[in-house]
Amino acid sequence: MLRALFYKEWLKLRLFWCLALVVHIGLIVYLLLSLRSTLLASGIVETWATMIGRDVLMVNALMYLPLITGVCIALCQWLPEMQVKRIRLTLHLPVDYTMSIGAMILSSLICLTVIFSMDSVVLALVEQVWLPRELVWRTFLTCLPWYIGGLLGYSVTSWCLLEPQWKIRCVDFLIGAPLVALCFLTAQPACYITMWPWLLLALLATVCLPFYSVYRFKLGKQ
Amino acid sequence: MKNLKYVIFALGFIVLAWMLPALYELVSPRTDKTPFVVYSCLDSTFIKMEVQDKQVHYIDFRGQEFTKSEADSLLPLFAFRQLVAEGRLPDSLYGVALTPKLIQQNSFHFKTSPKQLNKPAVGLYTMLESASGRVDLTLPPDVFRLTKEGLEFIDCETNAANRAKSLSFSRELAKHGFTFPVQLIWGNGTTRKDYDNGFLLTDANNRLFQLKMVKGTPWVREIKNEEFKIMNYIQVFTLEPANRQLIGLVVDDAYQLYAVRSNGELAHIGIGAYDPQEMQITITGDLFHWTITEYTATDSRYYAVDANTFEQVACAIIPDPERPLTQKIERIMLPVRLRFTSWRTQLIYPNINDD
Repeated sequence: MLRALFYKEWLKLRLFWCLALVVHIGLIVYLLLSLRSTLLASGIVETWATMIGRDVLMVNALMYLPLITGVCIALCQWLPEMQVKRIRLTLHLPVDYTMSIGAMILSSLICLTVIFSMDSVVLALVEQVWLPRELVWRTFLTCLPWYIGGLLGYSVTSWCLLEPQWKIRCVDFLIGAPLVALCFLTAQPACYITMWPWLLLALLATVCLPFYSVYRFKLGKQ
Repeated sequence: MKNLKYVIFALGFIVLAWMLPALYELVSPRTDKTPFVVYSCLDSTFIKMEVQDKQVHYIDFRGQEFTKSEADSLLPLFAFRQLVAEGRLPDSLYGVALTPKLIQQNSFHFKTSPKQLNKPAVGLYTMLESASGRVDLTLPPDVFRLTKEGLEFIDCETNAANRAKSLSFSRELAKHGFTFPVQLIWGNGTTRKDYDNGFLLTDANNRLFQLKMVKGTPWVREIKNEEFKIMNYIQVFTLEPANRQLIGLVVDDAYQLYAVRSNGELAHIGIGAYDPQEMQITITGDLFHWTITEYTATDSRYYAVDANTFEQVACAIIPDPERPLTQKIERIMLPVRLRFTSWRTQLIYPNINDD
């Protein structure tokens, strides 16, 4: 059953996943080309000096992409389910709803993590040819809260969309949006190193919340 | 599943504790204007320059207000360009013949804050050539990182370690008694300065050294501290003032500030405790005095020290003004105020009631 659910989600979202992958690859290629062009135009020594002395990492264009991807995936996944209450069909499957909804959420979280990991790996692999490991690691640490922001964006959007009542949905949004904003408080490199446990805790908490929305849906809240 | 509502309540509480103070601050912004203060050697007191009603007011710490022109006369070394333009620069002061060049050469400004210091370090440093024979400094073709065994230079073009240079610098340091790994290090990697003093660094045994590159080779000197018996350094700063009489400043674990003279001697600066993690400091130096200002969480401390002996000449501690009514209301209405940014650090972390 779980395999079938994963497959259903894949059929439903494959176009969007491919689009997200293309956009992410495109932006990573753009970032790398722009870094290469700066290295060639300004000189390697000067570029390194700027990156070290002025705390510049040239990856700021990536900042909100994971969030946009996470929110869009959640919209594509849950809007059709909620529009004509198609989610009822999923809830009537001969499997506990926590399993079915869990499988749907997990499949998206895995796909998002794969895309974000691919971003990081490609960026790091190419950057390490041109830059010392300290700057590569710093770039990763700088991007990491943005990726967590993407996962949080997905969870919070799912939580809000699955909520059956509009007024509660608004409250959910008012609680969820600041939690997502937590990941974007600064673009200063590597400044989130003291925040990882709290961001992961927020992610863990928000990943559970769509289940509460579905629980309320099952109770018949309209 | 029903119990998940408590998670929502908890998240809601956190968001309210964070967003309400932030919104309150947005509605009633804080207007903390700290005046610029300089010691007047002629008036033997501090003169503050404060902006009120879009006008600069010059008031000394005795409460006497001056016109701009009077203030210029009382601060001849600070306002020397204006005095030169008006032909009012004194010929000499305390027996020293004043020239604009001399005044300019002996003026310097230094400022740092906990927020500037408390940030994740890159871990890469630029060692400039300090005796190139050229007026302008240029960037070297490499940077270096600190390892447990020494320094490792990385060539920018190849992104590979330059073993010969790394070994040469590490050996030279070790030859002077330096025990790796490096504990504290400070250098100004910019080329926008007149000359280069290299790096001040401390070793595993808390001994202080100066390291610079002279004609491509390492140059090391230990900064002895027998006179002061410093056990631990907690902060070092390298400076390059125009008069070339200083290498830098260091702070020990008793929060005492010392100047490192260009001859390698330490000199205690006669001010109260300075904690780099908690206080913002500004130093405005001139030919005769340094005006040192420390901003703490509760007061502003002003010191004037002799520019040669670093002995205290004047001191004033001004408690921060009482909190405005809006802040008092905020404290009563919002007893739990959660923030993720702080004036102490650039790091993001949750802190409660840290105003």
